[in-house]
Amino acid sequence: MTKWERRQLRNGLLFASPWIIGFCCFALYPLVMSIYYSFTAFNVVQPPVWIGLANYQELFFEDPLFWTALYNTLYFTVFSVPLALMFSLTLALLLNQKVPFMSVFRTVFFLPSIVPIVASAVLWLWVLNPDSGLINSLLRQWLGIEGPGWMADARWSKPSLILMSMWSVGGAMVIFLAGLADVPQTLYEVAELDGAGPVKKFLHVTLPMLTPTILFNMVMGLIMAFQYFTQVYVMTGGSGTPLDSTMFYALYLYRNSFYYLRMGYASAMAWMLFIVILGATLGVLYSSKKWVFYHGD
Amino acid sequence: MATSRTHRIIAMTVLVVLSITFIMPFVWMLSTSFKHEAMIFPPPGEPPRWLPITDVHDDEGRQLVRYQGQVVPDMGADEYGLHQLLVDGEIVTAWNHEVEAVLRTGLHWDNYRRAFEMMDFWQNLRNTLFVCFSAVLGTVLSSALVAYSFARIPWRGRDVVFVLVLATMMLPYQVTLIPLFSVYSRLGWVGTFKPLIVLYWFGVPFYIFLLRQFFKGIPEDLSAAARIDGCSEFGIFARIVVPLSKPALATAALFMFLFQWGDFLNPLIYLQDHSQYTLAVALQQFQSQHESAWGPLMAMGTVITLPVILLFFLTQRTFIQGIALSGLKG
Amino acid sequence: MNNFRQTIAKLALPVGIAIAFILVWPDQAGTEAERQALREGRTVITYWDRHSGHEHRARVRLIEEFNAVQDEVFVRTVPIGYNALMEKTLTSTAGGAPPDILSIDGGIMAQLAAHRLFLPLDDFVADVPSLDPELFFPHIWPMVDIDGHVWGIPTTTDTYCLVWNRTAFEEAGLDPDQPPEDWDTFMDYIARLTVRSETGAIERMGFLPWVPWCQIYQWGVLFGGEWFNEELGRSEAGSDPNIIAAYEWHQSFTVDPDADEQLPHAMHPERIESFSRGLGDYMSANNPFYSGRVAMISEGEWQVAFIPRYAPGLDWDVAPLPQPPGVEPLAFGPSIIADVIPATAHHPEAAKKFLRWFYSPRGEGQTSPAGDYNEAIRNIPPRIYEAMEPRFIEHPRFSIFVKQLLERRVVRYPITPITQFISDQARRQRERVTFGRATPEEAAQAFEDSVNRELERIETLIERRRQ
Repeated sequence: MTKWERRQLRNGLLFASPWIIGFCCFALYPLVMSIYYSFTAFNVVQPPVWIGLANYQELFFEDPLFWTALYNTLYFTVFSVPLALMFSLTLALLLNQKVPFMSVFRTVFFLPSIVPIVASAVLWLWVLNPDSGLINSLLRQWLGIEGPGWMADARWSKPSLILMSMWSVGGAMVIFLAGLADVPQTLYEVAELDGAGPVKKFLHVTLPMLTPTILFNMVMGLIMAFQYFTQVYVMTGGSGTPLDSTMFYALYLYRNSFYYLRMGYASAMAWMLFIVILGATLGVLYSSKKWVFYHGD
Repeated sequence: MATSRTHRIIAMTVLVVLSITFIMPFVWMLSTSFKHEAMIFPPPGEPPRWLPITDVHDDEGRQLVRYQGQVVPDMGADEYGLHQLLVDGEIVTAWNHEVEAVLRTGLHWDNYRRAFEMMDFWQNLRNTLFVCFSAVLGTVLSSALVAYSFARIPWRGRDVVFVLVLATMMLPYQVTLIPLFSVYSRLGWVGTFKPLIVLYWFGVPFYIFLLRQFFKGIPEDLSAAARIDGCSEFGIFARIVVPLSKPALATAALFMFLFQWGDFLNPLIYLQDHSQYTLAVALQQFQSQHESAWGPLMAMGTVITLPVILLFFLTQRTFIQGIALSGLKG
Repeated sequence: MNNFRQTIAKLALPVGIAIAFILVWPDQAGTEAERQALREGRTVITYWDRHSGHEHRARVRLIEEFNAVQDEVFVRTVPIGYNALMEKTLTSTAGGAPPDILSIDGGIMAQLAAHRLFLPLDDFVADVPSLDPELFFPHIWPMVDIDGHVWGIPTTTDTYCLVWNRTAFEEAGLDPDQPPEDWDTFMDYIARLTVRSETGAIERMGFLPWVPWCQIYQWGVLFGGEWFNEELGRSEAGSDPNIIAAYEWHQSFTVDPDADEQLPHAMHPERIESFSRGLGDYMSANNPFYSGRVAMISEGEWQVAFIPRYAPGLDWDVAPLPQPPGVEPLAFGPSIIADVIPATAHHPEAAKKFLRWFYSPRGEGQTSPAGDYNEAIRNIPPRIYEAMEPRFIEHPRFSIFVKQLLERRVVRYPITPITQFISDQARRQRERVTFGRATPEEAAQAFEDSVNRELERIETLIERRRQ
């Protein structure tokens, strides 16, 4: 190691030290314990009993609901993450124009993210009501067709939740807006001198400059979608109805941990999910070397 | 210029249409917070009411009810639902199902009165603000430092540690809750605000990642120039990177504030006395296993949401209007 | 001047932050009354109430009374709420920061008591005359007396009856004073009370066994079936014709393409699911029974308090739930709420002082605070002599619920370490049956298999722990 490298390592660790210390003090013990729990039968109250790989064996070979929950979660993630990404980016681009009342619009699109979920869930239950709900009433009136059963129909319950999740893209949108604000105006001026139109400017200036924020929203979207829990818990009471179609991974994990008192099994589930999320994230990060462009580099 | 104008008109139309659907949850909450209990939920098969609705009182403040086709003042009911009505100057008793409240379109402030009665609002607000301020300050300071390390110092092993930072977000909280609680319990922190604050002074992965992405966008030449001038690494962080990243830092501060403002699980678990409860925990108490005070719930939901909306509306310039305009960068 | 301005601008942020912190810095936790109690040298104990709302207020009133009538113990109440009750209770008790008294659901108590989470109360109960096990409904005491120890004091209990909408009866040309008593009449009434629109959509359902929530477990019991054999410690539901019959009955509410005969109100499973899903919030005027969308419903005694509150205009009455022919009259008394003292509580003796006061009559011939609590929240007191007090047994509608427990054999949930799992499985299999994914026989067998497998797993563990 050269002197320069040593100096960089020292500085790097020094700046990262808050997190390293915090990790060692608060995060490490719970992480290690949860790995240990995953090899035990642990009912939260009594000391864990070592059972080796039995939890993992049960997960893979004896528990069909585990696979259902994994499928539901993958389904949700595969659709909701790209859709939310495109939607929030589109909104951010629209809101980055010089249109009157822009600050009002920005606030409005952020609203669903701050309204307490207990309050908005009541509204959603009505919007998605198969008989008298807003969507089906409009479909009936305007198009004369009978809408689906939404949350009551095992085939439509996941699409319903994906639709609902589109309302909470406000956070990603704000991050995109901050990213858009960081695009140097000079780049647009240079592009205009080269005779670039709006489409070219978007493809060659805006999009490349936004890639760091796209990467952020994509990775965070993945991490959160795989652990999707609160909204479905509030909407269905966490029972997975109809026909286990809304039994998401985090929900099933929650039932095992705090209802069936199977913390060991839940920990094994958690670490399987961890591996799935880590794999997906590493895939995105690895590919990002090809498509993310940092202006500072 | 004409195309740009059509462009704007199209953009504006799309925005207006979309905003109507996005503003719905809030308008719904606001209007429901002013509705009489009997009309909070739409009658079956009917679309919900958007206009507020309230009851009618006579000059002496007695509620007016319809009884056998007559509108009469109600002197109150006992817990079995037996009302005392004033019919033609005489007291008549009637059962609950025989009387019907007279309602009119108007603001039903009673929900707000009851909501404030049901909780110690100012105490809860003070607790919330304390937790929010402490956590926001800690998050922004510590996460910025850590993010700087990952964004701008090329040290050996950096990428592995960075993945580790991200990895801490990938394990569902349910399985670490109990060991984490026992850590705090051994430190004697359960029943204090410390579990809701201290952790955030050691860098929060979400914000480390966020700030890293923005710090990476600041031209390396600026750091190099400062280094030649003899500026220390911390000097570059404090004098160049932080001032250039105000929008990103403000975004991080806002998000952390919102998270703490709305989080109810952590305060509920670590606080042991309702004089310490935050607004979000107090709001959860409006919903019980057997009883939901929907009117007051919506009223308090509105009261809690409004300041945050205002905060966002007033400060959005800070994080949305980047300093890119000033031409400092690029 | 410019310099001065810059200095001000630089200082503004830190000074602003400092002022903000001074304004909101928290003061000492707790109320003035609590600090006063500590100064007087009283023992301050903590009581966690799982209820909020009026049920919590009723509890607080009684606790304030206790704090006023004696000067040794001061109880402070903390409402925990329902949304994260399990997380809060389990983390705190496992993490060594429990309250002195905890109000808890009987099923969860049984799960946790098996793991020695609570203080045994045998000596305490023997010492309090009004807690003699003989005083309680016979089905109640086994729920707190587990593995030879008493782990909790039953506070409240429940049962279910048929509650019907008298107006809907009149509209269907039925006598509103004549509820269905036998099974055939019940089925006939369900058909006659069901109203469909011209398009075939349901406007009113006579009865739907999974509204307001799935009650398959109760119906299995009322059909004379046995979900779980407590003596054998396993389920034999798969070969229990009565359990299969209960599933068959649930199935009959949905269209079966292969059946020769359909019930007149049977319809497509998704349509019926839409209907039950489209119904409103349970605790609102939109509750399907309150709004008239369901004419008869199986409901608990708390409706005596709820209906006047949420549906003041409703004309309703109560009767025992009908049962299929040939089954002895049964009542379903699923569970209790109990007070327990966590094993690691700091002041167990002071907690017992409070419990002694709460469950004993205030004086000769006077009511107990526990009885007053039941009256305030409209639940059934678990002690027979209290349930027989005029305020409960002479109330025209409430008394019908109480009489179920007095006059019939009462069936409750089995006491197992997996009670929550058992009721979840019964419901999941019911969904499979009504959506046509399993026959009633398959469902009953799948229930039996999953329950026994889960139990075997737990038993091997308990065995290993002993070794």
